[in-house]
Amino acid sequence: MSTRALMRKLEDFEGPRLVPLGGDLYGASFFLMKLLPARFMLERATERGLLRPGGTVCESSSGTFGLALAMLAVQHGYKLILVSDWALDRHLHRRLIELGAEVTIVDRPALTGGLQQARLDRLQEYLQEASGSFWPSQYYNSDNPLSYGKVAEQFVDRLGKVDCLVGPVGSGGSMSGTSRYLRTLFPDLYAIGVDTPNSVLFGQPSGKLNLSGLGGNILPTNVDHSQFDEVHWLVPAEAFHATHDLHRKHGLFMGPTSGAAYRVAQWWSRNNPGKTVVALFPDEGHRYAETVYDEKWLEKITGWSELPKASPLAVGTPRAPMSGWSRFAWGRRSFDDVLGQAND
Amino acid sequence: MPIGAGYAEAIGHHGELVQGLFEDDGVQMRRALVSLPCRQLRSKVRFTPNSSDQLIVMPASREKAKRAAELTVNAFGRPGTGANLEIDSNIPLSRGMGSSTADVLASILAVLDWLGIEAASHDVMQIAVSAETACDSTLFRQQAVLFAHRDGVVMEAFRRPLPPIDFISIDTTPGATVDTLEFATARYDQLEIESFRPLRGLLRTAIKSADARMLGRVATASARINERFLPKPRLAEIETIGVRFDAIGIQVAHSGTVVGLMFDAMDQKASENIKRATAALKQSGFEPAVFRH
Repeated sequence: MSTRALMRKLEDFEGPRLVPLGGDLYGASFFLMKLLPARFMLERATERGLLRPGGTVCESSSGTFGLALAMLAVQHGYKLILVSDWALDRHLHRRLIELGAEVTIVDRPALTGGLQQARLDRLQEYLQEASGSFWPSQYYNSDNPLSYGKVAEQFVDRLGKVDCLVGPVGSGGSMSGTSRYLRTLFPDLYAIGVDTPNSVLFGQPSGKLNLSGLGGNILPTNVDHSQFDEVHWLVPAEAFHATHDLHRKHGLFMGPTSGAAYRVAQWWSRNNPGKTVVALFPDEGHRYAETVYDEKWLEKITGWSELPKASPLAVGTPRAPMSGWSRFAWGRRSFDDVLGQAND
Repeated sequence: MPIGAGYAEAIGHHGELVQGLFEDDGVQMRRALVSLPCRQLRSKVRFTPNSSDQLIVMPASREKAKRAAELTVNAFGRPGTGANLEIDSNIPLSRGMGSSTADVLASILAVLDWLGIEAASHDVMQIAVSAETACDSTLFRQQAVLFAHRDGVVMEAFRRPLPPIDFISIDTTPGATVDTLEFATARYDQLEIESFRPLRGLLRTAIKSADARMLGRVATASARINERFLPKPRLAEIETIGVRFDAIGIQVAHSGTVVGLMFDAMDQKASENIKRATAALKQSGFEPAVFRH
C-alpha cells in the first residue's frame, strides 16, 4: 500500500448537485468544481513524494483553481503561492489573502502566449527559488482529468445511462476526464466541449479573451481532443445571457461558463428528445456579482443589447472567423487530424 | 459420544460481474468483487462426527474444506472432535468458479448445522478467509454485495438481490487451469482504479432498479479492464456473437478461464436469442453451456 496523505476535509464540497432542467436535461451544479482535481493532484503528489507535510504549493491561477488550492492549503497545512494577473477579481483577491495565500500579480504580457505565459514565466522563478515546492500544473498534470472518476460515478449513480455530456473547456480536465470515464460504460456517449472565439483550444486563432474560465491562449495537454464529438464557441454576451436565463428559469446562480454550457446543452437536448444530457456547471455566481450580474457592467459588453441567437451557426473549420455562437463537428479526432493541414 | 450429522450446501459461481479496487468508508482501498452466482453448481457437504479424534475429509485433496471444518469446530464446538467430512460437488475445479470457496462454506455450514448454531455471516466469512485466504460473495443470496474477498468483509450491501441473468458459459482455455491464489494479483494503474468508481455507481443503479442491461455494461467494462491481467482468448469474437443476438454483456472469471455471455432473463426473446447464440458459438468452434438464473 502506498503512503498517501489524505485531504478529505472538504470532500463534501467536491461533487455536483444534479438539477433537472426540463425534459431529460440535468445540470451538474458545483459549488467549486476545482476542489476535486486540486485535492486529487495534491494527494497524488504526496504519494509520489513531491509534496511533503507543510510544504509549499505554487500555481498560476486567476480563478477558481487558485481558490480551491487556497482552501485545501488552509485545511491541510500547506503554504501557497499564486501567480495571477489583472483579471483576478478584487473580492477573490481579498479572499485568497485571508486564506493565507501569497498572491503575485503579473501585469505585462509575454511576447507570445500573452498574460498566461507571463504568469507561467513568473511561476518558474518561484519554483526555482523555493526548493521542494510543488506545482500542481492543472493544464499539464494528467492527475487533473484522472480525478473525475468520482463525478462520473455520481452521474451514473443518479441517472443510470448518460447519453450526452456538455461542459466548458478551460484546462480540459473535467470534460476530457469525465467523458473518458463515462465511456468505459457507455462508449456511445456524445461529448460536447464549449469554448469561446479567440481561444486556441480547438483551433481558433489566438486573440484577446473576455470570458474568464473559458478557453485560453495556450493549448493545455489536458485537453484530450479525441474525446469531443462536437465543439461550440460562444461569445461573452451569449454566455452572459444564458447565465441569467439559468438563474431566472431554474434558480441556479452560477458563473458564466455554466451559462455557456447550459445554452449548448439546452439546444442539443431540444434536438435530441429522450436522450439524457448532463451539463457541467463549474462554479457559483457570487464571484461575478460586480460583472456578469451587474447591469451597468453588462451594458459595455459587445452584443449585450442584442437578442441572443436561438441556435448556432455550423462552421466548416474551427479557424473560421466567429462573430457569435458557432459549432463544428469535431468527430473525436486529434487536434492535428482536424487542423494539421491548416497549420502547414 | 457425538451423535447425528450436519449437512449443508453452498453454490459456485461463474466468475464475477465486477472485480477491482474500491475505496471503503475509511478511505482505504480494498480489492473487492461481485460474484455471478450459479445455483446449478453446488458443493454438498455432510459432517458426521465419530468417536475418533481425527477429522477425515473425502475427497482427501480438499484440504481447505477440512481446515475450515476444524476452525469452525474449534470456534463453536469442542476442539478435537473426530468426524468424517464428505464433499460432493459438481463445480469444475480451477476454472475460477468458486469450487474451493463453496467446499469451504458448505463445510463451515455443515458443522454449524450439526452444532445447531446459526452464526452471523460475518463470522462465517472470517473463518472462510482464514481457511483459504480469499473468498467470494455467493453466501449473500438475499441481497447483492460488493465483497472484499481477501478481507472477508462486505464493502457495500445493495438494496436488492441481483436481477435475474441467464448466460452462456464458454471456457476459453479448456486445457489450462488457473490457481486463484497462485495467480498474481492485478496491479491496476490509476486510470483503472478511478474507472472502478463509475462502475460501482452503475452497479448500484442497476441493482436498485433491477436493470439487467445496465448490469451487463458494468460486467463488460470490468471484463475489459481485466484483459490486461488475465486475457481471455477470442473474447472479441464472443462479444461480436453476443451483439448479434442481443446479449446484454459479457462477464469473466477474473482469476479463471470462463467467459459468460449474459442475457436478461426477464426479456421474452432471451430464450430464442440464447438458442441462436449458442448455435453460432458452436459454429465458431466454442463449447457453450447454458445456465438459467
